[in-house]
Amino acid sequence: MSESVQSPPADRGSRAVSLALALAGIAGLACTIAWGATGGPFWPAWVWLSVATAVALLVCGVRFADAPPGPQRRLALHAEVSAVLAANMFFEWLFGGGGTFWPIWVWLGLGVALALHALVVHRDEPLRERQLAERVAVLTRTRRGALDVQAAELRRIERDLHDGAQARLVALSMQLGRAEARLDDRPEVAELLRDAREEASAAIAELRDLARGIAPPVLADRGLAAAVEAIATRSPAEVTVDARIPRRLPPVVETAAYFVVAEALTNVAKHARGASARVTLRELGERLLVEVADDGPGGADPSGSGIDGLRARVEALDGALTIDAPAGGPTVVRAELPCAS
Amino acid sequence: MRVVIAEDHALLRAGVVALLREQEIEVVAEAEDGEGLLRIVAGHKPDLAIVDVRLPPTFTDEGVRAAIAARERHPGLAVLILSQYVEPVYTAELLRGGEGGVGYLLKERVGDVRGFVEAVRRVADGGTALDREVVAELVQTRGAEGDGERLELLTPRERETLELMAEGRTNAAIARAMVVTPGAVEKHISNVFAKLDLPATDDDHRRVLAVLAYLRAS
Repeated sequence: MSESVQSPPADRGSRAVSLALALAGIAGLACTIAWGATGGPFWPAWVWLSVATAVALLVCGVRFADAPPGPQRRLALHAEVSAVLAANMFFEWLFGGGGTFWPIWVWLGLGVALALHALVVHRDEPLRERQLAERVAVLTRTRRGALDVQAAELRRIERDLHDGAQARLVALSMQLGRAEARLDDRPEVAELLRDAREEASAAIAELRDLARGIAPPVLADRGLAAAVEAIATRSPAEVTVDARIPRRLPPVVETAAYFVVAEALTNVAKHARGASARVTLRELGERLLVEVADDGPGGADPSGSGIDGLRARVEALDGALTIDAPAGGPTVVRAELPCAS
Repeated sequence: MRVVIAEDHALLRAGVVALLREQEIEVVAEAEDGEGLLRIVAGHKPDLAIVDVRLPPTFTDEGVRAAIAARERHPGLAVLILSQYVEPVYTAELLRGGEGGVGYLLKERVGDVRGFVEAVRRVADGGTALDREVVAELVQTRGAEGDGERLELLTPRERETLELMAEGRTNAAIARAMVVTPGAVEKHISNVFAKLDLPATDDDHRRVLAVLAYLRAS
């Protein structure tokens, strides 16, 4: 019973090269010994040249067997084969007794062929780069578009909740209240109605929290600068706000910037009691710069879960979030967000 | 008492109007937007305007701005804002703007008919009615500030008294809410004023203003 084992190609290649070398050596030596016996001009040089050329070509083939296929591999193989042939021509000329250096014409021919090949391969490259750049631009635009649509959709949901479910629940709780007010003489029924009203109130409160998570009312109503002023006022830390934003930004950018400031100020209040903070908002070109700097003790862990969430939010907009928190302070949280509308 | 209302949601407007009517409070005119509010206030000279925050055409803070404008044009006009959310910025603007009663309540409080009607009457009389969530927000912010540590000197009962006062409730209403005697409420109030270093006064309304001024100071 025989077992057939498939060897890896590189292994087979090196075995083929060893075999070829051995055969070439035997052939060369045999010819040299025969010449030694007969004498005359050293004709085995031609044999040595032929077998050396053959082995060199084989080595070229083996070397590129494993390279990834494609125009680059073809070009590299072409170059090495050309070099082997050029060397072969040189030795032919040398062994032929010199004289007019005719291999120059062959070299020229090989060189022109190689140059043409290289030209063809590299002509495609800028085209591919251009295609990639276009693809990146399209993907950037569509991703941004998707995020804008998502932000607009979230605000629409918030508005629908406000005008729809929330308003109906409020109307319901009013009606329950009116019924309750008429039941002074039947307190046990009035109590049932009060419980029902409290359930409705709890549902309204839950919807309100949900809406606030999408975007706090003052942000949707008045924009980023007003909303940041509002959190600054509410923050236990002493916060100054320097906002220069001449226009309303896309909702998705406003929301991301708002949550960066809110999270940063929450961290100041939590980890740097007594520190004061400065919030800077600038629209520079088509980028929004958000910076929260505090004079607390520093040394914050720049990979906390809150920060990770912010980073994801900022990077989804193709922005960048950096946190500079050396021990001893000051801590600077900086976000840059593209905000072309 | 003559009341006008600005609310774009027909169902809610009808609900509030019906509820007030049952409590013998007359709603003399209704509006659906800020412009309309200014018109009916000018035309009917009401004692109180009940206003929704989000009104057409912007559906943002139209109601707050219209209410502040109405108070500027008609000094002494009492305004009660009804909203589905608490926005401290809007509360602060309302409290800052002009004289006359001011209220800011979450809409669902309307369902507590007795409490709501009490708030309506209080605001129309020049008093204050702040939602307990508004007050909680004020107390929390103030408590975190430099000299806000004084708030920590208060006992839980005194703190509760402070919050009920900030909502604008009278001593009698505070006593009812806390299920204690009016005398006990008086005691809590004088302790609160002493601990917060506020000027003592017998006038209910002035006391509310003093507490609010303390909570809003920063």
